[in-house]
Amino acid sequence: MFRKCLWQRVLLVLLAVAATLAMDIDDARAEYGDIVINNYSDAAGMRPAIFPHWFHRVRFRCKVCHADLGFKFKAGGNEINMVKIIDGQYCGACHNGELAWSVENCNLCHSAKPGTQTQVHESTVQKLAPATLQKK
Amino acid sequence: MKIKRILLASLSLLSFCGVVSAADAGKDLYTKTCGVCHAAGIAGAPRYGNAADWQPRIAAGTARLYASALKGTPKGMPQKGGNLAASDADVKAAVDYMLASVKTAAAPAKPAATATPVAAAAAAAPAAPPAASVAAPVTNPSANTSGVSAADINSFNRLLKPIGKRNPPPAEDGIHDPTNDGTLALMAPLAAYGPLPKSLAGNRINWVKAIEENKINPRWDRNDPAATPVVIDLNIVREVKGSMPDVVYPHKQHTEWLDCSNCHPAIFTPQKGANAISMAAILLGEKCGVCHGKVAFPVSECRLCHSKKKEVRPAQAAAAAAK
Repeated sequence: MFRKCLWQRVLLVLLAVAATLAMDIDDARAEYGDIVINNYSDAAGMRPAIFPHWFHRVRFRCKVCHADLGFKFKAGGNEINMVKIIDGQYCGACHNGELAWSVENCNLCHSAKPGTQTQVHESTVQKLAPATLQKK
Repeated sequence: MKIKRILLASLSLLSFCGVVSAADAGKDLYTKTCGVCHAAGIAGAPRYGNAADWQPRIAAGTARLYASALKGTPKGMPQKGGNLAASDADVKAAVDYMLASVKTAAAPAKPAATATPVAAAAAAAPAAPPAASVAAPVTNPSANTSGVSAADINSFNRLLKPIGKRNPPPAEDGIHDPTNDGTLALMAPLAAYGPLPKSLAGNRINWVKAIEENKINPRWDRNDPAATPVVIDLNIVREVKGSMPDVVYPHKQHTEWLDCSNCHPAIFTPQKGANAISMAAILLGEKCGVCHGKVAFPVSECRLCHSKKKEVRPAQAAAAAAK
């Protein structure tokens, strides 16, 4: 009985993968691993922020942000806000005008189309369950 | 009757082929190959539709443009755009396709000039057997309904993203706002990827190899460029059910990038056999899927993990011998 359920689930997952892969071909164009963070941006009248993993991993190993700076492995899961960044936490540890450009360059991070949802773009999870179908 | 119709249709199609397929071939090659650089102007490539970029080159003569495209230039144009499988005629057609973009853009006032070849084609078609003009309208829409040329319908991996659509610059990637000034100041992925080793999935960059070959040297400490990671060379073999090869988990490649605390103990209990991992969990972004399928290579690359051939167990060997 349990085994049968398991197979059905696996089949469902595979079907979902196949269906979404086929659907998303034209829409999904962002770079693999680009994170859109829209926790507060839309409500504050700013464009959502985009974090490009590819750009940062050329310069820093994962450990720098995910261990030293405490970024959790979860898009939108870090409750980052501008006060913390200006205080030198999270992005502000480097984006301080010394190691990288500082916070007055709003448009460089806040560069997503308004209304873009928090998610890891081009990720398997996004293809399995597009943000529009995910529960808020 | 039906056969006659097909014959007529194919005749009229033949008379069209000379003009239509050359233009389509040019567009196809542009989409698959040339557009990688010529869409965004990477490495100084003249941009599609940008008359200013093309003007000095057009002035030097079309023959010289063809030669540059076919043989490459020291400025960075690779031979045939790097697609050596393309025929000379297709490469020239692609050049024509890009030239047409600036001619139509630069001189919208005289569309008659650009329309002439089309008109000539239309005139040429009925000049063939008279009955062909009846069949022509039937074949024409079927060939061009979806804007995909006939050659593409049965092409390999038809639904996968063509090269021209991979790693687009921020303004064209679908999530950046092209009306935002900042977007235009951001680096395009392909500008960074040039010297890096390629892979088949994700960013299409083999990041592990990029570090191994010293193509990149990302910092281990954000303030100290000299700090180096503590690399642990320890392989963990996970025997898997079914017929897939067993998984070899290499600590080495992971500790080049990550700290132990990134995975242990929150994601993986540091004890062999203590972690229940399934492909379903990974697909849903748990366990290995916390990174693989988001920033590290996705599950499509099965054999990068499932890499250890199974040892034949005694029971299986006996069963095989009995057959």
